[in-house]
Amino acid sequence: MMAIRKWLVNLTFSEKSIAPLVVFRVLFGIMMMLSTLRFISKGWVEELYIQPTYFFTYLGFDWVKPFDVMGMYILFSVLIASCVFISLGFLYRISTVVFFICFTYIELIDKTNYLNHYYFISLVGFLLIFLPANKSFSLDTYFKFTSKKKYVPAWTLHIIMFQLAVVYVFAGIAKLNYHWLFEAQPLINWLKHQTDLPVIGPLMKFEFTAYLFSWGGALFDLTIPFLLLNSRFRIPGYLLVVLFHGLTAVMFPIGVFPYVMIISTLIFFPESFHEKIIRSLRILFKTKNKKEVSSTPIKEGNKKNIQASLIALYIVVQMFVPMRYLLYDGDLFWTEQGYRFSWRVMLIEKVGYAQFFVHDPTTDNKKLINNRTYLTPQQEKMMATQPDMILQFAHHLRDTFKDTIIMENNGQRIKISEPKITAEVYVSLFNKGSRLFIDSDVNLSKIHRGFHDKDWILKNEN
Amino acid sequence: MREKVIGFQLKQIAVLTAILFFSFSCRKRGCMDPNALNTDPNAEIADNSSCSYGEFDKPEMLSNVCDNYILPAYQEFNNKNIALHQEALSFSTNPSLEGLTAVKSSWVAALISWQKVSFLDFGPADYYTLKNQVNIYPIDTNTIQNNISFGTYDLNLASNNDAKGYQALDFLLHLPGTNEENLVDYFNNNTNATSYLLDLTENLMLLSQNVYDEWVNVYCSNFKSNNNSNAQGSPISNVVNGLCSYYETYIRKGKFGLPLGVFNSFTQEEMPHLVECYYYGQSLPFAKAAIEGMSDFINGVHFDTPENRLGLDDYMDFVGATHGSNTLSTAINNQLETIITKIDALNDPLSNEILTNKPSVEDAYTELQKLVPYLKVDMTSALGVLITYQDNDGD
Repeated sequence: MMAIRKWLVNLTFSEKSIAPLVVFRVLFGIMMMLSTLRFISKGWVEELYIQPTYFFTYLGFDWVKPFDVMGMYILFSVLIASCVFISLGFLYRISTVVFFICFTYIELIDKTNYLNHYYFISLVGFLLIFLPANKSFSLDTYFKFTSKKKYVPAWTLHIIMFQLAVVYVFAGIAKLNYHWLFEAQPLINWLKHQTDLPVIGPLMKFEFTAYLFSWGGALFDLTIPFLLLNSRFRIPGYLLVVLFHGLTAVMFPIGVFPYVMIISTLIFFPESFHEKIIRSLRILFKTKNKKEVSSTPIKEGNKKNIQASLIALYIVVQMFVPMRYLLYDGDLFWTEQGYRFSWRVMLIEKVGYAQFFVHDPTTDNKKLINNRTYLTPQQEKMMATQPDMILQFAHHLRDTFKDTIIMENNGQRIKISEPKITAEVYVSLFNKGSRLFIDSDVNLSKIHRGFHDKDWILKNEN
Repeated sequence: MREKVIGFQLKQIAVLTAILFFSFSCRKRGCMDPNALNTDPNAEIADNSSCSYGEFDKPEMLSNVCDNYILPAYQEFNNKNIALHQEALSFSTNPSLEGLTAVKSSWVAALISWQKVSFLDFGPADYYTLKNQVNIYPIDTNTIQNNISFGTYDLNLASNNDAKGYQALDFLLHLPGTNEENLVDYFNNNTNATSYLLDLTENLMLLSQNVYDEWVNVYCSNFKSNNNSNAQGSPISNVVNGLCSYYETYIRKGKFGLPLGVFNSFTQEEMPHLVECYYYGQSLPFAKAAIEGMSDFINGVHFDTPENRLGLDDYMDFVGATHGSNTLSTAINNQLETIITKIDALNDPLSNEILTNKPSVEDAYTELQKLVPYLKVDMTSALGVLITYQDNDGD
């Protein structure tokens, strides 16, 4: 027991060089700035936050709403400024808080745009608020806003490594399922569209290749954090990181995610490596490293205990959230209950088609809804396979038609007080054939949103 | 290298484990698709994801589809419109009963040839907004009559889209309340009407010429040299997106759903005047031609001959897409056949059938509707095509 306790205390509070944290801060800021600029240049601000008339909010975050064009661009400008400031280590604490709030707010506007790597960035942004990454090689120390430190408590580094390990290991665990391992799904289908890749293209038509990639990918995810932690395997491990993410970047339209991982995992390299980087940067920017003030010893007692408990709490939450799907019945890939925020990356091939009907309960007449009247193509596509979004859209239709008078083409007036909403949804998972996804008789307007089991999802019998 | 070595061993483990796993189940799973290379005669449970098919060559498929369907179909479309304009020209110089009959039959032939290319709704057709210019209905009879009486109009304006094309010709050639002799007299006495008729056929001819030329001179070679997998803007993505949206909106909805009233708000009252070729009184041959064209195109069948080479069906087989115990391509072909059968069971005029024999039309619509998820869900998923008009970060 004592040995474990000592190991944990060491892992948390022993002194480590600040260099890896500083390099991470600088690179993270630059990366986020570039990725935000890319986002804006692709016109996504308008496409995703201005053009839609309806937004799929997260449960409990219904108050998060997009601003108008001006407001959204101001929000994105503030986000970019915070990225630059983080990189420079300028007004660091405020900048990290601003970064976390802006980034997370944008992500919370519409779950259509949910991506695991955005969630990862939100989490890292949150962690950075509490990390002393500005205590060296920063404008804050240059202007003497904060004291200089050469050493930081070990947890400040290890929590980032932990976060990266969580991404990989849970992504790996998620792959340990029948479809991935024994059917090579969904890669077996996806790779066959890649036969025109240079060099490796001709291999893509073989099923063997899909199995190789599936098993290789799962093994990579499960082991890579440990390879990177081990000084003997670090270099080959990192080469694997570059190879793996490089390959996925070439093969799939996954934007900046591969690069984020390639850069972030540098934090596993030893202190000397990062010190070298800082030294070269100093030469580049011709700044002198003035006297380093050695770190003030961490106060014993209460403060340490509180720190340790909060870290433990964060770790427990990070372990629980991806596993919460176990609390639900049914096939996870089909129902997607507990699917988000769980590092399930490129795991399923799922396509859907949804038709909604608004019923007038008094006459039993029903109107077929044109989804595009309310949703963008992307929103419609994401909604059609995800039950919580299907329900949200049904509620939106309920609210739109509640207490309305409809003028029919033939002049007839139809008064609707409490519309009934049903949906006929077809979904195909892993190319095994589209089939009815939810009970098409159930009145969705009466179903409550929430974390309880969605018993109106039909069973997947493929 | 390291990854490959590890992966290779894993593959062995995977196979061994899979063998172990399956040896415990007593009923034999296997490929039961008769078209596959490895059809297992002893299989009891269809596991058609294990089927394998012959070599599939995507560039070869694109070439086949382009050279043997798209180009000849557009050529035919162009020829039929040239013929239509020729007939209209000779009719206009000397309006006669025979001339009128000739114009009408070449109009039918041209409209049939349009059905066979209508679903190729991408590239040049999209650039020239072909579908909006050649076959919009319902037409605006007021605009047509105004255009004729004023004698000045610009058919290239989008505002005239519902006053031109095949459906405007439908109106002119089957003017309500006139018999054939009256109609010949009408054109004899109304030079404005005659020149409007000519302008309509000329407009169709020029549009078909433009699209055909574009395919022959530029687009075909781009189409065949596919270097960007099935991402947006790739030939496969364009073909599938065009096919799906055209089928859903202009065939299922436009030819049947709208007149049937399926989309008519709450009362869903029939709107028989919305059928294609309302004045001609024959809608079904055109609907059937469109479905048959789609079927040939999906199956890689040559436009002029029944020769069947690589098409989207082979691509779906190559990626092992299934639907129930069938391959997806079989399921789609079966559904297309069912649709044809249901259309054959109907009688023209469709506008009348909708009122007097509604259950049969609803039957046909139900089958047309069933094809939508097959195409939009199953086919797009199988071919790795995103049904969206926007790039995204994805993960």
